[in-house]
Amino acid sequence: MERISQHQFMTLGAAVLMGTTFFPIASVVTGVGGRDGWMSVLPGFAVGIPYGLMVLSLVKRYPGKNLLQISETLFGKWIGKVIGVLYILITGYFGGLLLGQVGDIYQASAMPLTPISVFYLGGMLVVFCLVWSGIEVFARFSEVVFSVTVIALLLEVGLSIPRIEQGELFPILSEGFKPLFWGGIKVVPFAMEYILFLAGLAAFLPSSMSNQAMGQLKAGVWRAVLVVGILNTLVTLMQILVFGPTETIRLVYGLLVLGNIVEVSRTIAGVETLFLGVWLGALVIKVSAFYFTVLWGLETVFSLQGLKWNLAVGIVFLGIAFMFTRGHSLIQEIGFVDNYLIFPFAAVWILALWGVAIWKKRTST
Amino acid sequence: MGLGVILVASILCLTGCWGKREVEELAPLIGVGFDLGEKPGTFLITHQYSVPKKGGSTGSEIEDRTFSIEASSARESIEKISKVTFRSPFMGSLKVMVIGEDLAKAGDFNDILDFAQRFAEFRRSMYLVLAKGKAQDILNTKLRSGLLPAMAIKNTIEGGDEISCFPTVRLGHYLTILGTKITAPILPVVESVKSGEGLEYKAKGNDEAGEIRLQGAGVLRGDHFIDFLSNEETKGYMWLENDVLHRLISTVGIEEDKVNFAGHVLKSKTKYKVQDIDGTIGLHYQIKASIAVDEVLGVKKQFSNPEWLELMKGAEKSLAKVIEKECKLSIKKERELGLDFLGIGRHIEQKNPKYWKTIKDDWEGKIADFPLSLDVQVVIHHSGMSGSSATTNSPGEGQE
Repeated sequence: MERISQHQFMTLGAAVLMGTTFFPIASVVTGVGGRDGWMSVLPGFAVGIPYGLMVLSLVKRYPGKNLLQISETLFGKWIGKVIGVLYILITGYFGGLLLGQVGDIYQASAMPLTPISVFYLGGMLVVFCLVWSGIEVFARFSEVVFSVTVIALLLEVGLSIPRIEQGELFPILSEGFKPLFWGGIKVVPFAMEYILFLAGLAAFLPSSMSNQAMGQLKAGVWRAVLVVGILNTLVTLMQILVFGPTETIRLVYGLLVLGNIVEVSRTIAGVETLFLGVWLGALVIKVSAFYFTVLWGLETVFSLQGLKWNLAVGIVFLGIAFMFTRGHSLIQEIGFVDNYLIFPFAAVWILALWGVAIWKKRTST
Repeated sequence: MGLGVILVASILCLTGCWGKREVEELAPLIGVGFDLGEKPGTFLITHQYSVPKKGGSTGSEIEDRTFSIEASSARESIEKISKVTFRSPFMGSLKVMVIGEDLAKAGDFNDILDFAQRFAEFRRSMYLVLAKGKAQDILNTKLRSGLLPAMAIKNTIEGGDEISCFPTVRLGHYLTILGTKITAPILPVVESVKSGEGLEYKAKGNDEAGEIRLQGAGVLRGDHFIDFLSNEETKGYMWLENDVLHRLISTVGIEEDKVNFAGHVLKSKTKYKVQDIDGTIGLHYQIKASIAVDEVLGVKKQFSNPEWLELMKGAEKSLAKVIEKECKLSIKKERELGLDFLGIGRHIEQKNPKYWKTIKDDWEGKIADFPLSLDVQVVIHHSGMSGSSATTNSPGEGQE
């Protein structure tokens, strides 16, 4: 069985957690948290830390198993299977929707005349190649793409400084802490997407771990969350500073608009297409992650594996993407799955699994 | 092998050849003007394209290709223009949008701006200006410099920091201001200038304007034009908005002193404080400007060093009075219009959000008598390459 190193665990986790969150995050948190929304980004992502640590504590107790297998062990076979089916359906549906976003964003922003099917098929081929190559290749791919994503985001934030509008950030906390809470709630689903991926990835971590190795994995979780949380905070902050809160909420892909108005010495302008390239890499990572989760789920719950099922998942992903060629309904659906399926499912499942594991350990001793 | 084939196929799929447009098939749009159309619900839309000049000495020389079309939407105007030009319009090069006075007065021009903020090819960094008269006339002006009017407007705006006499308003800034819901947007005003209208030049044609000028500003309520600001009121706005980077400034006419000064602002900073003013909460402006004196007018004698020092101290006070006068004119206009184009409401909201919540519902009603105070401090950094000015001997002086 393939294994990934502690460092790969960190970068892969960060890349999946980051995914394409930098596109919707500003609009989402400002929509509920207003001008102070940027302050809720990091706390929202930080919810991923305790959940990530819960996953690792389960991994330590049940080495070499993913959380679906652990669920069958702790909850019993049938409850475990039901959880597995939910896991497959939710992550599969979400992965298909994310694939659909490739077409939506490219058509809306840079290549309006290219048929949407080209984006779906092209994206799917890249994802399929990655998944077929295995988790180790995927981890290495993530290491490269994540570094480029971080550099691109920092560059965009830095180059946008001349476009800052006076005083758009103030007053701070004029509405108290309540908006921050609601903003944070909107960010938590992003962290839960990461947790669902970790649930499957658990089986690929080293099967016998020293305390030092476990410590490195734990550090990998909080480092990934901090890096992604801080980057997304900067992205949100810059959009509020440049566009003001009202416009930040209104813009569907604010980061691209920001790239569109970046100007270097009146010579280089409109670098949004470069960011689109980076975004494609990040989206491929995210879609691949959910492709993996579906395959892991199928293998664990129904013992289905091999090229045939691999292709079948790809076809389902394409089918879902083709169902949502209307951009607005796609974005609405992604939000719905995030808030009402991924968030409650991951939050309750992992907590319950961890709680039962602790309880069983205590009763057995 | 199989993976290699898939990778090559995916690369081919992502090239974007489907949507390709060759550069020579594009017509770069440089400026757009919007006026009221004759039919109700229509706009007179003027598109200014640049085409490479045939036989030009450099590759960058361009020719004017300007069309005006009556249409009910921007897309309709492009469709109509596409029927007469073989090139397809490219919006990414758009620099300037000119709003005609008649359309601005009728209001609701945000409808026609919607395309520019929605269609991804446009950039929010393009400039918005308000035309005195028709936008079509501005864009059809044959400039003596040979520049396209849209390019001339862009160049003037981008060089505007040197004089800081009019606001620079990009589409993104306009939309951000609209988003505040309490600040009234303001646009710089562009007008065509015939010889003799404050500027003398040798015109090419008879009674035709050969120059355009950016001067003053127009105040809007949302997207309805309300009134123009004079040149001085606009200068006051620039001080109060902390928008002065450099300025040319003169004390001529401010006092009855025989000695006057002119110079340029090296740097300036405006700070805001919400504080008690005569027993009620108000906004206090503190403007600090560093100025270099470039001209001293009316000096009739040679000054000693201490005398020159005193003269410069006097100059600081005189220059502060000039700034104060401009600011007061701008504040007076704000009170008259009952429109917060100075963004006073936002300053109060930023500095004292609790107090703002108590007054925000009736803010426009309070603008007329909202307490404001002003403190202008000028420091003269230097007076150029000489101390005292050159003087002529007055009669009898040499005989003494």
